[in-house]
Amino acid sequence: MNKTFGQKCKGFLHSWNMALICILIAEFIVFGAKNPKFLRPQLLFNSMNDFMSICIISLFVTFVMITGGIDIQAGSIVGLVSIIIGVTWQDLHFNVWVSVLTAVIAAAACGALSGFFIAYCGVQAMVVTLGGSFLYAGLALLVSTASSTAAYQGITGYPDYFKIIAKAKLFGIIPSQLLIFIGLAVVAYIILHRTKYGRKVFLVGVNQQAAEYSGINSKAVIMSTYMLSALSAAVAGIILTAYLGTSKSDLGSNFTLNIITAVVLGGTLSTGGSGSVVGTALASVIIGLMRFGLPLCFDRRLQNYLDIPVGLLLLGVVIVRSISQNPNVSRIFASRKQQKAA
Amino acid sequence: MPDKELLKIRNIYKSFGLNQVLKGISLELNEGDVLALIGGNGAGKSTLMKIIMGIYTHDSGEIYIRGEKLTSSKTSEALARGIYMVPQEPLLFPNMTVEENIIIGFDKKASELHHELVQTMQDVGWKMDLTRKASSLSIAEQQIVEILRGLMRHSQVLILDEPTSALTFDEVESLFKVVHDLSSKGIGIIYITHRLAEVFEIATKVAIMRDGIIPVRGDVKEFTRDMLVKGLLPPDAGTVEETAVQTHQKAAGIDYSRPPVFELKDYSGYGFSNINLKVYPGEILGLAGVVGAGRTELATTVFGRDKVLGGKAVLDGRDITGLKTKDVIEAGLNYVPEDRHLNGLFKISDVAANTTSALLPEKQMGHFILNRKKEAEISRKYVDDFRTKVTGLDQQTGSLSGGNQQKIVIARALATNPRLLILDEPTRGIDAAARGDVYAIIHNLRQQGVSILLISSDMEEIVELSDRVMTVCQGRINGEFKGGEINQDNLMSAAFGITKKEKEAKA
Amino acid sequence: MKKIFKFRESSSILFLIALFLIVGIVNPKFLSGTNIADCFNDAVVYIIISVGMAFAIFIGEIDVSVGANLGFTATVVGTMLRDGKNWALAFLVGILIGALIGLFNGWGVAVMNIPSLIFTLGTNGVMRGMMYVYSGGSWIENLPQSFKDLYNKKVFGVININLIIVVAAVIVIHLLLRKTKRGRYFIAVGDNPQGATLVGIPTRQTRLMAYVICGVMASVSGIVFTSRIGFVTAISGNGYEMKAVAACVLGGISLSGGVGSVIGAMIGAVIMSSISRLLVFLEIGSTYDNTITGIMLITIVVIDALTQRRAAENNRRARLAARTSVGVAAAAKEEADHE
Repeated sequence: MNKTFGQKCKGFLHSWNMALICILIAEFIVFGAKNPKFLRPQLLFNSMNDFMSICIISLFVTFVMITGGIDIQAGSIVGLVSIIIGVTWQDLHFNVWVSVLTAVIAAAACGALSGFFIAYCGVQAMVVTLGGSFLYAGLALLVSTASSTAAYQGITGYPDYFKIIAKAKLFGIIPSQLLIFIGLAVVAYIILHRTKYGRKVFLVGVNQQAAEYSGINSKAVIMSTYMLSALSAAVAGIILTAYLGTSKSDLGSNFTLNIITAVVLGGTLSTGGSGSVVGTALASVIIGLMRFGLPLCFDRRLQNYLDIPVGLLLLGVVIVRSISQNPNVSRIFASRKQQKAA
Repeated sequence: MPDKELLKIRNIYKSFGLNQVLKGISLELNEGDVLALIGGNGAGKSTLMKIIMGIYTHDSGEIYIRGEKLTSSKTSEALARGIYMVPQEPLLFPNMTVEENIIIGFDKKASELHHELVQTMQDVGWKMDLTRKASSLSIAEQQIVEILRGLMRHSQVLILDEPTSALTFDEVESLFKVVHDLSSKGIGIIYITHRLAEVFEIATKVAIMRDGIIPVRGDVKEFTRDMLVKGLLPPDAGTVEETAVQTHQKAAGIDYSRPPVFELKDYSGYGFSNINLKVYPGEILGLAGVVGAGRTELATTVFGRDKVLGGKAVLDGRDITGLKTKDVIEAGLNYVPEDRHLNGLFKISDVAANTTSALLPEKQMGHFILNRKKEAEISRKYVDDFRTKVTGLDQQTGSLSGGNQQKIVIARALATNPRLLILDEPTRGIDAAARGDVYAIIHNLRQQGVSILLISSDMEEIVELSDRVMTVCQGRINGEFKGGEINQDNLMSAAFGITKKEKEAKA
Repeated sequence: MKKIFKFRESSSILFLIALFLIVGIVNPKFLSGTNIADCFNDAVVYIIISVGMAFAIFIGEIDVSVGANLGFTATVVGTMLRDGKNWALAFLVGILIGALIGLFNGWGVAVMNIPSLIFTLGTNGVMRGMMYVYSGGSWIENLPQSFKDLYNKKVFGVININLIIVVAAVIVIHLLLRKTKRGRYFIAVGDNPQGATLVGIPTRQTRLMAYVICGVMASVSGIVFTSRIGFVTAISGNGYEMKAVAACVLGGISLSGGVGSVIGAMIGAVIMSSISRLLVFLEIGSTYDNTITGIMLITIVVIDALTQRRAAENNRRARLAARTSVGVAAAAKEEADHE
């Protein structure tokens, strides 16, 4: 008997993760062959510090996109968190951990605000988070003016015990950022795939009406996913600030394309209802390594062109997926099968 | 009146997948005819009309317009040949003015079109402010705009799909006048309706559609209401005596002296008003009525999906009026929705996730971490009990047949152990075998003491399953039937708004 | 009446006037002819790009690649002009670039049915990268003075000639949209896609066309941008997509499609580009720019969504309520017939 559609989808999801692993391995082979430096653990691990924040945010934007929404404000929250930490610490003389907590609370509030408009007022997620990206980036700039340091300079001079959270290395080689990412990936995996809450996220994304008829408070679920993604942006903001040792209001301003590409490449349906943390995690690392490997192994100048491969990746994935869903295409395949059978 | 043929349909067949919807339909429409097309839900009326409009392609058969065969299935061709359909829910552009709505899609100059439009309105004697925005129009006005669109295209055939379903009494009167005017101008009208009274009021011809065929058609003069009701029933409908005996036996086990499980007192909401009903322990109460009678709105309002306007809903002595869906489920009431695809199924989720979706708030599913073992156990139990055909608990429900999907949705509702289960059209769009299985499930539930409120427009189903029946017509309960009174004839009459009193009077 | 239809635009105009008056009251220096004229003069690039964006929004979609489109066109055209190529050729190439980008976006959205935000986000990334590739990351300077002067030509001493041309063009586009058969299709497709199909409108073609127009307008704005600024950097056009969306919303165009006009987009663009100037006169400083834009954007869309939802809900309820009232009337009639 032929496999059912459901099994095919299930199979696809697994094979998709397998495909992502293959791409990852291919990256190592191609980049490694082109420039063996790529494979030097020291360099490789170090490079991860440059893109772990994108990976972390992608994990939780996956939640948002599974509910059928989209989040393009996360990047601006990174900058807001960074500058709040800086200003409260330097100019208000908070303990650095209190500053961090303040920033996290502010981020959660930002996520809650956007999430509220999306879930309870019925505004498209795209528009609200677009407005949000303006608003939170603007607020970041405003906060930065409260500081005695000029905005372009950034606030520096953090104590080592703060910087260590992003600069520590396990066994002297594995960066703490990677460990934080792995830890958060596990947490995200458990929340999304193992808890009752995660199940609700999926159900709301598959069919919000049916979820309501099952007694699920879909609005609260939707709102919460935006808070989660804002919180992940806060974590990214903290890590970036600690790693760079600098607070700047425009950190993360160019993350959006990378985040969305990671989530979409990771197998999350743009219409919602399907996706996986493992897929997003793999995809985000693929993108990160690509950003590291291309300039290193091919042409230094590529450093400035990295939006091209990422953009092409995004376009390629959505186009291929759209074609494969097109009934005409499946019909062609079906007729070929029939011809073969005959 | 010249007896010229406008539209001729020959042997139309149409299937969606394995489901054959139209099985050889033939029809004619002459100039000035008002052809009333009546039939239950799912009889294939809308499909037929969409084929005529070129929205669907038919599998076989021919359509002739003024003797010329329609070659392609395109909406634009149907429009060009003078056919226009006013859909049940008018599809106007809400943000455009009335005039913009009517003249969109024409090649001529706006000023010419304006002139033509004013002329057309004078011809039919209608007045309407052309600069109003469509979103501010009432449904009747929207329908008039749609009809004007059709007239501006010089349509010779107008299809009105249940035009009165959302109209007030006065609006209905004015619409009838319009229909009369148009037919006297030689325009042919296909009038789809649920209301038998309307057939005699405006139609010249009538055709009954049932299960994809037209068993009966002819001049209205040749028919009485009873003949129409008979025509709507399947030919093998049991005789009155048989069903009476059956029903009597069924109801015997129920103790009507016990307090009811569920009671509605003067319950009003959007789409229904002043509903009074009681469901007793272990009873199947049938709620019969055509689609649009307010049955579904009643059920969804009880279920916490819409605002209660008045009255009370009491479950096991507890007032559940206006509770949230989650709390209604917790109180012991669950609902199997009418529209399985829209409100019931999570199509790209698996069987287990579907079955347990309403159980998520409960502790047995785990406190924080989802208890997968319990989930599998419960899902497995219902798959086995209901003989649901699945390849595994991880199969996506979108790939199941309609009947198996319905079993999953029923399982979802039952998993919460309700005291009262509301089933809304439980067998719509599923095949005969699955229908039998669903009936078996319902009988079993009744034996286990679950009370059931069965909403259906399928009178055969109501007669077969119900211990007692109430009929809903236009938002109100207009009849209660017990024991021997429960037969398709009585129910169909009441559901179509013909009261007993009136029937006797006519006889 | 006509009034209802124009309500959204006129409230945008009133908002603009109120804005100027408030700033004028706080700081009377603002209310000089030059200042107000400059608010409009500065808006030209925004007006062009916002009017293009309006087309994408009319059909209920969005195009976030217009910023990169502007930048890439500016880079290519700037390079050609610097190298002394024929102006007409340069402009033609620029417009062709915009049309091709628009066509590509339109294909993805209208033909492949890919969510527009995701698709155009991808295009945006690619085109932004292509800018670097084309320019090598360096500034494009030393443009012909005569080209730069194009932007500075003024009539009556204060009004930019470009502004007059653009305003006239927008009015023409507005009339085309309102008065021609095909022009009406854009709004219709966004207003009620199903209904559009039913009256025989080629929806796919219309949606594709909307993106081509959006792309062309973005590239035209790129050319004007180059003339105005006089040089092109690797980040030229960054963030213009956001500004264009905000301008459309401020101009009363509904992001769910089918509502609004290009006149609205134009007014929105003027408000948008005036904000930083106004803030300077309010002595607040332009750091509030983004915050205020964000707040206005969110406030408008939320109010819009709430009113729309309420209207839809009321409509549905009125429909349902009508059913029961028929019941009453019909019952009354039956009684009467009986007697």
